[in-house]
Amino acid sequence: MKDAMSPVPIFTRYDLTIDARRGEAARRISEDPLLQRVADCLVRGDEEGTATMVAEALRSRDPREVIDQSLIPGMKEVGRLWEIGEYFLPQVILSSDAMVAGITLCEERMGRAMEKKAKVVTHTAEGDIHDIGQAIVNALLRASGFDVVNLGADVPVDEVVEACRVHKPVMVTGTALMTTTMTAFPKIAARLKQAGLQIPFVCGGGAVSEDFVTGFELGVWGKEASQAPGMAEDALNGLGWSEMRAKWNG
Amino acid sequence: MKLSDSMAYASADEMIFGSAKKPVTTRRGLVIGGGLVIPEVVPHPRPGSEKDLRTLLREFERATGDILERCVSVGHPSVVVENEHVFQMTDDPSWGMEIAAQTTHQIDDYIEKYGIKAAYRSTVADIRKPDMVDLRNSDRTRKVLEAFDACAKYADIVSIESLGGKEVFDYSIIRNDITGLLFSQAVLGSRDMAWLWPQIVAIARKRGAVPGGDTDCAQANTAMFMAAGYISKDVPHTLAALCRAIAVGRSLVAYECGALGPGKDCGYENPIIKAVTGLPMSMEGKSCACAHSSLCGNVMAAVCDLWSNEAVEYHHMFGGSSPAVFAEILGYDTAAMNSAISLGYEKQYQACLVTSDRYRSLQGFILCPDNAWAIGKAVVDNNESYYSRARAAAITCAELMLADSQVRFTSFEKDALMGFAKELDSLPATEADFIDLCLKKYGKVKGFQPAAYGL
Amino acid sequence: MTAAPATPPTARGRARLAVAMDLGTSGFRAQVLDLSSGEVISTAVTARHPLPGANVIDHLHFALELGVETAREIILQTVNQLIGLLHTGNGEVVRLAVCGNPTQLSLFQGSEIRDLAFAGPRKLKALGVEPPERAATVRPASEFPGLALPSGCAVIVPPAVRHEVGADALALIVRSGITDREETAIAIDYGTNAEMALLHRGRLFTGSAAAGPALEGQHIVCGSLAMPGTIADLIAEGDLHRLIVLDAAMQPAPGALVDLRKPAESDGAAGVPATKITGTGTIAAMDQGMERGLVVPPRILTGDRRLHFGDGIFLTEADVAEAGKAIGAVRAGYFTLLNEAGANVEDVRTAYLAGASGTYMDAIKARRLGLVPPLVKTVRHIGNTSLALARDLALEPEKLDALDALATKLRETHCLFAATKTFSRVYVLELSRWTEGMPMATYRDLLRQYGLPELPPVSGTPVVVHEAERDIEDHGRMGLATLQRVGLVVGLRLDGCTGCRACLDACPAGALALEGIFEPPTLSLTQALCNGVACRRCEPACPSGVFHLNAFFEATASRAAPIA
Repeated sequence: MKDAMSPVPIFTRYDLTIDARRGEAARRISEDPLLQRVADCLVRGDEEGTATMVAEALRSRDPREVIDQSLIPGMKEVGRLWEIGEYFLPQVILSSDAMVAGITLCEERMGRAMEKKAKVVTHTAEGDIHDIGQAIVNALLRASGFDVVNLGADVPVDEVVEACRVHKPVMVTGTALMTTTMTAFPKIAARLKQAGLQIPFVCGGGAVSEDFVTGFELGVWGKEASQAPGMAEDALNGLGWSEMRAKWNG
Repeated sequence: MKLSDSMAYASADEMIFGSAKKPVTTRRGLVIGGGLVIPEVVPHPRPGSEKDLRTLLREFERATGDILERCVSVGHPSVVVENEHVFQMTDDPSWGMEIAAQTTHQIDDYIEKYGIKAAYRSTVADIRKPDMVDLRNSDRTRKVLEAFDACAKYADIVSIESLGGKEVFDYSIIRNDITGLLFSQAVLGSRDMAWLWPQIVAIARKRGAVPGGDTDCAQANTAMFMAAGYISKDVPHTLAALCRAIAVGRSLVAYECGALGPGKDCGYENPIIKAVTGLPMSMEGKSCACAHSSLCGNVMAAVCDLWSNEAVEYHHMFGGSSPAVFAEILGYDTAAMNSAISLGYEKQYQACLVTSDRYRSLQGFILCPDNAWAIGKAVVDNNESYYSRARAAAITCAELMLADSQVRFTSFEKDALMGFAKELDSLPATEADFIDLCLKKYGKVKGFQPAAYGL
Repeated sequence: MTAAPATPPTARGRARLAVAMDLGTSGFRAQVLDLSSGEVISTAVTARHPLPGANVIDHLHFALELGVETAREIILQTVNQLIGLLHTGNGEVVRLAVCGNPTQLSLFQGSEIRDLAFAGPRKLKALGVEPPERAATVRPASEFPGLALPSGCAVIVPPAVRHEVGADALALIVRSGITDREETAIAIDYGTNAEMALLHRGRLFTGSAAAGPALEGQHIVCGSLAMPGTIADLIAEGDLHRLIVLDAAMQPAPGALVDLRKPAESDGAAGVPATKITGTGTIAAMDQGMERGLVVPPRILTGDRRLHFGDGIFLTEADVAEAGKAIGAVRAGYFTLLNEAGANVEDVRTAYLAGASGTYMDAIKARRLGLVPPLVKTVRHIGNTSLALARDLALEPEKLDALDALATKLRETHCLFAATKTFSRVYVLELSRWTEGMPMATYRDLLRQYGLPELPPVSGTPVVVHEAERDIEDHGRMGLATLQRVGLVVGLRLDGCTGCRACLDACPAGALALEGIFEPPTLSLTQALCNGVACRRCEPACPSGVFHLNAFFEATASRAAPIA
């Protein structure tokens, strides 16, 4: 009889693998020590530090380089750490804020805005001031490379429709905590449709139910803020609201 | 093309689950037949989900995700996910490709995140129905090859269950006509594969996928299912066993054309193929009862390298979705086998598997490693032609069944077997004469076009 | 400020009575008091609120859609029924003092509610709404059409601080006596809107956290408001847990012994039977589950991912997330107040727990979960302060002046949580803790990174003082009556209705019933059971398209005759 502890893999303790990875240092982003320090700050969620380091890097590096070789891969690394359970939502938001601060400095240097994946208009319903959900959506969308047109909280129907007309986003989102205010969503959807803007309208937050959102055209129910980037990718890939609803709802 | 003339294994004793003489390594680094048995999970989409690509993608996304999540949840070290194409995935090769891309993306995620060892097998649907289209020259033929090309970009392994000879087989099986079965499987099936497989192998090589193998699912399994359990009498179990032996001559052609294994799970002839080729094989038994019943639930595991569930439709069960549940079951089956290997008890464990089914049914009996090896030996010793080796396999199969005193037949089975043996014995000596005879006898079978087989 | 009118003359020999009433979001409670002795004669409570829905937003939504007048009529009808249940004998009611949050008091008075329904100033401006002051008022009953009290009876309504912090919060401050002490202390009313007040260095800070209805046992799969037969607490006994169930008198009593890991066959011999679990029961279950390692947010690590309390009552992972968010809102709330006041968590020495949930809540368990600051030395359960304040005002209407002064003072230090970064940050930490399983170590690191007060771990054992043994301490010599059938049941025969029951099946609250043998049959809606006008699953379910929910409420308005 062979030794029972012979190395034939009968099972794998993935929990221990994950455990061993916990606290693992973020992966190296760049061979360039300066760009690596920018990425370090970003991965730590240190907004101020990121801004300082980006400013320093811009003295000797091209802004494009700073974005492509430290800020964006740094944010990707944060996304990976979140996915493996090492990072949590608040850390992703901090890093997203740091990334935005860094990109803003680079854009100033370039003299133009950086090319983003696509625009997404976000808002919190008219009459509602509870915008924590929207803030999470904004941070996650930015972290995934989308250009967020943030209309803020308590936004009138007209303003949302106008923003969609002007910005031509791939997707528009609405957040509401109170059922009294979510009634603005079907109105927005109807006005968008009237204006010939068939934009997927993702609605979510506190009291907003799936039944309510799937009760009007363009509406796609967002169960959790963390779904927003995946939905925006779908919209960017040309999925219509009904296809998105079929995929994400029901 | 040279037909196999020697056995990879010197004796049946050498054959064991988890190890093949010639293991294969996939593009994702999974070694098959290298000392471990690996579960191969095959989810099947619910009817209706194929109505458009989005819903089908969603269905497979759920299934694959459930399988991988369950493997990680319960600690299965490795897994192969197989998709058998629904018609639309081959008919529009871009569907097959999108699903292959999505599935491998999910697998890569899990490899990256958890270090699981995993691979994807894409099995193209043979949409060339011999009674409807020219096997060698039709839109559907081109689509099959395009689907291979599209899926091989992503998949680790590509396979098919080819349909050559099916039209004559269907005519013969309901008449219990052993001559027709030999013609359809051994001559027509082999000739079609010899035309098809070099093309598949070339595509797979070009794309970096492993050309897996082919099975006689369409024919030998049809006979096995029609013979069914103890109570059924539509087709004698003796005939189904002979069909299985004949299938060896046919399925070998893929490997002779360059397929590297693992052979497809539903090839119950695979123990014999493994004895001849030394290539890794996927097999299925008790844990594919979700797809169909069989009388060889344990013995099929005796020399397997992948252990499969054949196909399970996506449904919710108390223990999770059906693909997750079957991933768990198969993984535990393989963990027991791998533990036996680890403890050095693999031959004892194999003996248990074999003994459990050796005399349960004739199909199980001829697939026990010793009998499988003996049939394989008859095949390589009679390699003058597709016909001669398949006929020799069938005759040896009949002799093995009659020679073991513990094999018991009903009188119906025994009478049938004696008749088949007599008929096999009386057939012409050469393939050319046999083909002449069969073209006369089966030339008018509906849908049969000799030209499609180069005849 | 209006002074209370002189008490109207009464017939000689008749006892002079006053009614104190708490218009709570989950139900009304009333007591009748003898003005000569000040004692409680009897108490009456409703099993639920008469309007559809479970929280103030549902009630506001209803009033927006159907009109404030319809909502007022429905509330008034229940108020009248409740007064009818009180033992007033041949005494004369000369005063009615009500207390409650701004929504309930506004609906009771039929006054402006749009500033309560919409928090956003832009929307209010667009609507042309000028938020009313909601100062204290004393008006004769004749100004409340339909109120079943003598026309000269004085109706006393206390003031509000800000739109989401009302008389109920004032009640919390006044009745807790928090201002009588020097030490830093916090008072929290655990409800759908968790009102809280922090006293630090002589200054009071108030706020209201949108906790959602989980702390009151709603939006929990097997949850319920506190009522007889509900589980209010769990006590560990070896490996098992003793259920603490509210009996017919709403007193906690021992129930069955259960194994949290698996559903049990019902044990006939074991104590008071339970049917549902309250908000405090949910809190106890979360705490005990976490103590035993069975609840590791967001997961429940039992075979079926549920925590069991006997036969057919359980907690799901969705419940853990729902309750977790409510707990999180409370903690984010008190953290925000601390930050505003420049205080640290360890400064808070005393916590006052109010509201029905605050009464039955086990403070030790609540503290472990984060509902009570971790280093408090004393916890005081102070019961239903809203009813107590109504009682004070009914006996001594002149106290209204002091309340108005307090409200004015509080407006200066009131904190609108939704507008602060602190609340948003801590709430996201809580969200991550309860729905992603973020470890507390990471939570604390992030607090430091945000520059917020440290959150020390729970330590020591606080002294727990029960100033109130039950929600309402003294039921009076004539005892407690419960109004079970609350609100109206409206039956309609709809043209085109085939009686297919699709609407009944779609209703998650079981508020609809089908009666009658005629075509079309009579469909009846128990208004108080309805989930509210935001739900409306009934409408799209109707294959004939003839079902309109509003019709069942509009019928109320046209039919409601003033009750003399």
